[in-house]
Amino acid sequence: MATKKKPSSDQGSSSSALDSSRWEVSCFWERRLQKELMSLMKEPPPGVTVDAEGAGQNLTQWIIQMDGAQGTLYEGEQFQLQFKFSPKYPFDSPEVTFIGPNIPVHPHVYSNGHICLSILTEDWSPALSVQSVCLSIVSMLSSCKEKKRPPDNSFYVKTCNKNPKKTKWWYHDDSV
Amino acid sequence: MGNCLKGSTADDISLLRGSDSTRDSSSSDQLGPPPPYQESLPVYYPSPNVSRPVTQLTEEEQVKIAKRIGLIQHLPTGTYDGCKKNRECVICMIEFMINDPVRYLPCMHTYHVECIDDWLMRSFTCPSCMEPVDAALLTSYETN
Repeated sequence: MATKKKPSSDQGSSSSALDSSRWEVSCFWERRLQKELMSLMKEPPPGVTVDAEGAGQNLTQWIIQMDGAQGTLYEGEQFQLQFKFSPKYPFDSPEVTFIGPNIPVHPHVYSNGHICLSILTEDWSPALSVQSVCLSIVSMLSSCKEKKRPPDNSFYVKTCNKNPKKTKWWYHDDSV
Repeated sequence: MGNCLKGSTADDISLLRGSDSTRDSSSSDQLGPPPPYQESLPVYYPSPNVSRPVTQLTEEEQVKIAKRIGLIQHLPTGTYDGCKKNRECVICMIEFMINDPVRYLPCMHTYHVECIDDWLMRSFTCPSCMEPVDAALLTSYETN
């Protein structure tokens, strides 16, 4: 990856990433992220809010507020998701973690915010999007029957890489 | 994205594009399919999530990639005719424009040639239905 550009340096200083005139100079992943950002702002899925200003300033890192769905164990709770995109997006999956003070207590969510969800690594497809990832995570939380951490939480959190995509995940439990 | 489709150092890459170049810089207007990410050396994906510059591939990986390029070439291409069923390339999320070069997968999902070829070099599955393309190719040979 000799010429892997640092995405943040691509951001023009004068115009925001949401400015459509920037489309002329932006490349593949920027264009697609701008489109996704627009549609997420216009028609967000229920309980999902994107920090559009932050994402507009730095397209490679988005913060998304997620409300626990009504009628689930997470009703009334608020979570923050962080999405990081590489210039290979959407061919490479985004790096998605829970951040902030409230990390959902869930059998597939580690206390450091890492999420064990196959579409974030080996089952990723470029037809997926920020919106579909958010919906999958909402649905993963909603189907939870008992709030508890993964059984290997303390070991994993001590030994894992900062980037959850570096983890060799074992996906075995589709029930929650 | 890894620029596995263009690069002066690897002449076999032209195979992927077919004999007639699907697009040149003059025909790509601002809203057309976007240009691939530029890398100095072509990078290949011997298996998903494993990327290596062309110079660091094992012989086995080179064979696998050459086979993959050959298979991709067997997938039909065309130009977008305004068909209402496929309005948008879900990879770049840009609406097809008349005469955009497109590739049809055996599952009948359609993408910009440039978008889907880049993905198929990483994973030989349809992004929309996850159908393995090689299995579907074989089935289509058997039924025809």
